[in-house]
Amino acid sequence: MKSTLLKMSKICKSYPGVKAVDDVSIDLFSGEVLGLMGENGAGKSTLIKMLSGAEIMDSGEIYINEEKVNINSPKSAQDCGVSVIYQELITMDTLSVAENIFVGQLPINKTTKLIDWKTAEKKSSDVLSLLNSKINPKSIVGTLSIYEKQIVEVAKAIHKNAKVLIMDEPTAALSEKDSKSLFEVIDKLKSQGVGIIYISHRIEEVFNITDRVSVMRDGMFIGTKTTKSAKKKEIISMMIGRELNQFFPEIKSEKKGIALKVSGLNIDGIIEDINFEVQRGEIVGLFGLVGSGCLNIARSIVGVDSIDQGDIDIDGRKVSIKDPKSSMKNKIGFIPIDRKHEGLTLDFSVKQNLSLQSLEQLGSGFIINDSIENSIAKKWVEKLEIKTPNIDVQVKNLSGGNQQKIVLGKTLETNPEILVVVEPTRGVDVGAKMDIYKMLESLCHQGVAIILVSTDVPEILSISHRVLVVSTGKIRKEFKKGEANQQDLLYEASLS
Amino acid sequence: MKSIGIKLSTTSSLFIFLGFLIAVFSITSEHFLSPYNITSLLTNISYSGIAAIVLTLIIISRGLDISIGGVIGLTTVVVATLYSQNDPLPTWLILIIGLGTGAIVGFINGWCITALDMDPIITTLGAMAITRGLAYVISDSQSILMFEDTTDYISNGTIFYIPIPIIIFILTVIIFSVLLHKSKFGRSIYAIGANELSAEFSGIAIKSKKMILYILSGVAASISGIILLGQTSVGMPQHGLGTELEVITAVLLGGAALSGGKGTIYGTVAGVLILGVLFNGLTISGVRYVHLQIFQGILLLVAVATYEIKTRNEVAR
Repeated sequence: MKSTLLKMSKICKSYPGVKAVDDVSIDLFSGEVLGLMGENGAGKSTLIKMLSGAEIMDSGEIYINEEKVNINSPKSAQDCGVSVIYQELITMDTLSVAENIFVGQLPINKTTKLIDWKTAEKKSSDVLSLLNSKINPKSIVGTLSIYEKQIVEVAKAIHKNAKVLIMDEPTAALSEKDSKSLFEVIDKLKSQGVGIIYISHRIEEVFNITDRVSVMRDGMFIGTKTTKSAKKKEIISMMIGRELNQFFPEIKSEKKGIALKVSGLNIDGIIEDINFEVQRGEIVGLFGLVGSGCLNIARSIVGVDSIDQGDIDIDGRKVSIKDPKSSMKNKIGFIPIDRKHEGLTLDFSVKQNLSLQSLEQLGSGFIINDSIENSIAKKWVEKLEIKTPNIDVQVKNLSGGNQQKIVLGKTLETNPEILVVVEPTRGVDVGAKMDIYKMLESLCHQGVAIILVSTDVPEILSISHRVLVVSTGKIRKEFKKGEANQQDLLYEASLS
Repeated sequence: MKSIGIKLSTTSSLFIFLGFLIAVFSITSEHFLSPYNITSLLTNISYSGIAAIVLTLIIISRGLDISIGGVIGLTTVVVATLYSQNDPLPTWLILIIGLGTGAIVGFINGWCITALDMDPIITTLGAMAITRGLAYVISDSQSILMFEDTTDYISNGTIFYIPIPIIIFILTVIIFSVLLHKSKFGRSIYAIGANELSAEFSGIAIKSKKMILYILSGVAASISGIILLGQTSVGMPQHGLGTELEVITAVLLGGAALSGGKGTIYGTVAGVLILGVLFNGLTISGVRYVHLQIFQGILLLVAVATYEIKTRNEVAR
């Protein structure tokens, strides 16, 4: 913890109209994990991009091992020993693990002048075993799990002698078990003197694994706290600039009769004999680790995954749902897991996204009625407090939280009576999270039946009235609200 | 707002370029601005312009149709063959069968692309070979003369001194700009092209929409074929050879992107006009047809390169 590995001093970066990073100074010691927190749009990503050479700073200085460096391209960042593991992994899926780790510098056999696969694979195994991983270097990366891909990326960084490793929301797509393994890897890297900048919205996690936490807000550096002596509330209020009395709203259950009944649902080899009911005004959580089949249950209710056996009854009437269109006809709304690829049309404007699911309602004939469309957009921008300069801005220019609100708005415009929500607050800042919970609360009061699929343990425990724990394709356990704590939930989910 | 700004400037820069071409050619050739040349220029572009307008929708939906030229050839052969029988069917029925030819090819293309999930380029490439081949087989590789009043009128007649092909083209432009830019159908097409998964999750019936587009494209190619047949009074399997390239060039020049979600009818109109003016102007300036093809190829590459450079700049921002 003594030597300063990285020092970023007085970094500034402006885009037309916005000061994305405003006079930020951060330092990182070797063998340290520094948490970097802030709401979406706080400037974390921009700061990281300048460190990794993806963006060039307007002013400021970067020192590595107290030596001033000039980072102006990803290559120069790499030469300085800086590596980034992005949230959206950039592995080459059609190539092998060894090829990914050695990309661009595969060893050459001196006599044949061909690639020396044996050495490449041997060295890959060595690096991987440093990370407690037994991944076969010959495996094709596309066939690996997200966690394994992450490990391959870390191995690639280690192989390139990374001294500074930046991890951007590494656990966002990981199960609790894989997250734990990742934390072990992080510990190991620490002991080897690597400095890690760890970006995450999951405050529990940040408190568990970091040594210090730096907070940014609105492009500015707010402060750094030693994790041990800091309080979660304190960090959160640094992030949002106000006291947060209560993280999760208390949502009262008002059961008003069964809205959805699922019986004997089966997808061969994925889910088996799934039975449950959801009442109007009730939030039922589905919790399971990645690969448990949780997501498939949700997707089969909205017609994305097709079921092999089983019935879905709505209001006591058997319905046939073969695609998202027919699920919408049955008044089922869906908030998919991946807002950028499944939920939104990024090139469309705020207005066009909000009205897309209700196209047929935009006027009686063929032609889109502009005033109806505008009023729909304005209604949701106001109701969900979507922060956007106007309704004609392309949604790709908005922050994650505001994008997520648009996904919610476009679905709610169809007046669903049953809502299937998957990871509604993943990668979303604290303020937007609160707004989304408030919206779920008000839907619950209006008598909407809600199915919440989430791997965020505190969230699913606090928001749902009942949690069904799914593991290896079956519902293993049901907890009523308050019956289980985080450990119980994880324990049940990890049984098979 | 930003996207509208870019769109506007792209289309208007195309029209500025068009004005520049017109200015240059009116200086290099005294005949260029003569009423006769203008009329013949516009009539010529109408023929491929109709197909280009419909192809714009397909490219926006992230598809492609390269069977256009083949369908044109096949349609001229089918119509001329039916007419040259000893006891021919009534002309209106023959024309409907002609349009049906394109519709059937479009349906098969659409079915392969939606039901079998085949790649649009490969599917319509196959259709291009099949339709062209069929045209040779049906016509026995011969030209089939056809002197008939209705087709002659469609291609050479005028209403208020305006040639009918131009009127058909203008109507196509009006109908499709309303369809694409104002209707629910048009919005779905953009949504499908920009992000098919999110369009599906938003409850848009993707397959039926795509099917309609390919059928429309086939019918549009058949209309082009019938106009060509009337202009030349001959049905032959070589008709429409290379038209798909001309049409794709015009659409891409107009700002539509093969990656889907982008493009406008006005852009395509500008693309069609630029291509037409360039060909006409170079021809009357004495440039030979074989050289024109080189220009067309260069123009296609320039159109795509411009798009790529623009996207790169957007990403870099």
